[in-house]
Amino acid sequence: MGTNSGATTGINNKPVGAGGGTGVVGASLGGGTTNLGVNIGNNSNNSNLGGGSSPNMNLNSGSNNPASAVVGLGGVGNNITNSNSDDGNGGSAVTNNQQATPQYTIPGILHFIQHEWSRFELERSQWDVDRAELQPVVKSEEMFAAMKDCFKLFLAKRQCKMGREEEVKKFNEVYLLDELIKKYKFSEIERKISRPLNEAAHTKFAHAYATTHRDTVGSEARIAMLLGERKCLESLKSDLTRRIKMLEYALRQERAKFYRLKYGTDPPQLNEMKPSNEDTSLGAEVAPDSEVPYSSVSNTTWRQGRQMLRQYLAEIGYTDNIIDVRSNRVRSILGLNNNAEQEENVSPNVNGNENNKRASESEGRRTPAKKIQQPSDTLILDTEAAVMANFEFLGPTEMSDDDEISDDLELVGGDNDKPHMESSTLNAKLLRSEGYSTSNADQSEKITVGSAVARRSLITAVTAAGDEDVDASLGLGELAQLTVNNDSEGTYDSNAKDGTGSGTGGTGYRKTWNAKYTLRSHFDGVRALIFHPEEPVLITASEDHTLKLWNLQKTVQAKKSASLDVEPLYTFRAHTGPVLCLGMSTTGDTCYSGGLDGNIECWQLPSPNIDPYDCYDPSVHSGTLEGHTDAVWGLTTMHSNIVSCSADGTVKLWSPYTKEPLLRTYTASEVEGVPSSVDFVRNEVDHIVVAYNSAHCIIYDTETGKQIIKLEAAQEMSGNTGKFINKVVSHPTLPITITAHEDRHIRFWDNTSGTLVHSMVAHLEPVTSLAVDAHGLYLLSGSHDCSIRLWNLDNKTCVQEITAHRKKFDESIFDVAFHPTKPYIASAGADGLAKVFV
Amino acid sequence: MKMADGTTIVRRNRPGTKAKDFCRWPDEPLEEMDSTLAVQQYIQQLIKRDPSNVELILTMPEAQDEGVWKYEHLRQFCMELNGLAVRLQKQCSPSTCTQMTATDQWIFLCAAHKTPKECPAIDYTRHTLDGAACLLNSNKYFPSRVSIKESSVTKLGSVCRRVYRIFSHAYFHHRRIFDEFEAETYLCHRFTHFVTKYNLMSKENLIVPINEEENNATPGESEA
Repeated sequence: MGTNSGATTGINNKPVGAGGGTGVVGASLGGGTTNLGVNIGNNSNNSNLGGGSSPNMNLNSGSNNPASAVVGLGGVGNNITNSNSDDGNGGSAVTNNQQATPQYTIPGILHFIQHEWSRFELERSQWDVDRAELQPVVKSEEMFAAMKDCFKLFLAKRQCKMGREEEVKKFNEVYLLDELIKKYKFSEIERKISRPLNEAAHTKFAHAYATTHRDTVGSEARIAMLLGERKCLESLKSDLTRRIKMLEYALRQERAKFYRLKYGTDPPQLNEMKPSNEDTSLGAEVAPDSEVPYSSVSNTTWRQGRQMLRQYLAEIGYTDNIIDVRSNRVRSILGLNNNAEQEENVSPNVNGNENNKRASESEGRRTPAKKIQQPSDTLILDTEAAVMANFEFLGPTEMSDDDEISDDLELVGGDNDKPHMESSTLNAKLLRSEGYSTSNADQSEKITVGSAVARRSLITAVTAAGDEDVDASLGLGELAQLTVNNDSEGTYDSNAKDGTGSGTGGTGYRKTWNAKYTLRSHFDGVRALIFHPEEPVLITASEDHTLKLWNLQKTVQAKKSASLDVEPLYTFRAHTGPVLCLGMSTTGDTCYSGGLDGNIECWQLPSPNIDPYDCYDPSVHSGTLEGHTDAVWGLTTMHSNIVSCSADGTVKLWSPYTKEPLLRTYTASEVEGVPSSVDFVRNEVDHIVVAYNSAHCIIYDTETGKQIIKLEAAQEMSGNTGKFINKVVSHPTLPITITAHEDRHIRFWDNTSGTLVHSMVAHLEPVTSLAVDAHGLYLLSGSHDCSIRLWNLDNKTCVQEITAHRKKFDESIFDVAFHPTKPYIASAGADGLAKVFV
Repeated sequence: MKMADGTTIVRRNRPGTKAKDFCRWPDEPLEEMDSTLAVQQYIQQLIKRDPSNVELILTMPEAQDEGVWKYEHLRQFCMELNGLAVRLQKQCSPSTCTQMTATDQWIFLCAAHKTPKECPAIDYTRHTLDGAACLLNSNKYFPSRVSIKESSVTKLGSVCRRVYRIFSHAYFHHRRIFDEFEAETYLCHRFTHFVTKYNLMSKENLIVPINEEENNATPGESEA
């Protein structure tokens, strides 16, 4: 036994008697084992340890892992290596993510660009062959590399800074043109051509970027924006390619001239210098040039070159007419959301197949204009513009951009005769780029379920398009599934359309929320959650007696899953029973929690960048508000005050951190029973609304303590037991109170008349939780039917339903929340999980 | 809280439920629980009924997957240990307990860090519980609550050994807290039974004496 315990504890426990580090050595050796090495964190060598000691190190590594993964890029490596297997599972993954719809994300775009570069590289090697005869270095190739650097640098910067404002700034700071020109020692003449080109490219990119950026500020019409952004990049990329090819061509001609002047004969291989055979589209466009006799190359060629360039630039000037026509057409067929079609459409783009180049380019070019046009729609609106911008994505149906692509498909459809070879190579590249994209997700935070699905379906689409005869069945299978997904959402699309039309000024974007973060660390049901007012940070409160702090920017990519796991940063312990409700100060530095133990605990939030295994700081728990004699079930904050309701029958108003924190107690008459939920009336100072067991709500004046009005419906008085109110919330701007009922209803009340304004069956089981977004346009509800639903408050229609949690006994979802300023929604469930949707 | 929708019993803690009525509903037989959290429900139900009936609480139902049974019990232990941690927080500070010790024989190093560290007892307690919460909820090791990978079952033993030190520290250094807590929850008692029953810890590590000495375990047992 002595030996055994020696070995056991020697691993990570130090004998006191032996003293210091040598004690460890002594003990371990004394134990007759060779496990010193294990001490450092190896968890595989335990086999020779006696009995119970062996798994000792396992936890060591197990518990280290989460910590290190949070800090470092532990997940990244995994993702890279796993990307292939992920793809292998693409089919089933798509099936599982029923509610996921494709989205475009920055990482997606980045990797698409990367993929494009690798394709260029391929082309370049072909050029290399052509070039072999010519000794002088092709400057344009260097430029090519320089451009690449430019992009890389920018993208790198971009990944560093998530604040988008910053990014644009950074990009503008990275003024690469001079550097680029200097670095590659362009000759005078080369500089002359390349300078405006590069400049134009740069300006355009910066502009497109800034436009996109502006659009997204405050709003998160992200899908649409990113789509646009992607297209911008695409169009920019193809422009650059063209220019580079132009330059190459011009240079060759220049060299040919030089050669002729020097040797008096035509240079060899002149014919092969014509812009490449594989680039048919470009070849065609350059054709007039190649017909120009080489003897008159010098000035004529330059001029012609410039002319062509001008032409190209004009093309880049996105002909607005076309866009308008197209978008009108699009609107006319709006409602026929066909995702499969969209996916198919994207595929030619992704392929970058030369056959499709013209089409995809023109499509790309139109986009930036579209981008400018769209925000202006929004900005025309009044001061509510921000609100609208915020919520236009919640609006109806698909993005018009998609339909434009559909139009393009019609044009492109015919020339899909690319070689199978190529498409399979591209497949491989896509696979790779997907892996890369996933790895970046941690930093860029923009990967979503949808995007993963989208990428997978892109791959499918590529396969389907390129290898029709071979892979059609597989491809269609996946596309079919996507269509099914869409159909299930179609219901809400159509519902939403009317509502958002009036609600948001009719901009045609609807955001589909997708589960992105899973917050798992609670041992029992999560009763409440609340977001930080500004940061992507939230706090959850659980029946396991703890609260946990989460930073959505500190994630671990879950294997084979598009959602991210978040590790908790801090665990708040003080309650001696389940924690039931949460409140947060408007500044976001204090939060309050009410528990079954009848206490309200006050907490100073630790930094969202705290080390999860930092030393215990007792000052985090900054006070206890004692006064309730039974479970505290409701808690809400307004300025520096909080109001709480308890099973002891009282509602109390507190001013924490003052000498006498308890300001007032409100007690209703016996018949009303126990309060179940409470909220401040948001549009009226000093009013609170309290829901009672009697299924009535009472509005009190907090100053006088007097009952102002009782919200009750005269004709609906029978059978009150079923109408038990689980949650009451006040509309942020209007004199409306919204209640969630045990009888599956959500009811809307007029605060001034006290009458029932609207009543609707909202869920299949009791509605447990409600949240209204900061602008008062959307309502989120959670229910024991395991789903959360998003409602358009304007027309009271359901915009989206998400099944989010599992049942424990007869309970499922306890709380839902909107982030006050960021596009996050969240749900908390009896299954011990919290989920955040983007 | 018993509110009947027709004849069916609905097991919910509605807002406004008094503390004494929390989770007070008629027991539901395990076989009627169709939730994926059935085992947790069942265990909690048993504890709620009588926390002192350790034997019954630890009696595994027939046809129950043993991995899941052990896993859910350990989750429950870690959860209830929060209660002990809350009490310890009030008394056990880095100045009074600079190291995690039980008897004077060993200093336990905190494994939550990259290199195990001599955390003060309260930090050790918190870190170990936080680490256990992360591990037991890890999507990697425990992606499902209805079936547990064999490789992950082996992790349970190390969690047990670590969290046990919280009991032992409390027992040897904060005896009053320990006794109060134990009188309410029988947690150490149950835990000792649990790890003994499922051979999750070696007997000589179980240094906290529990009231009834049970010598029925075979000597020289070792961990699986």
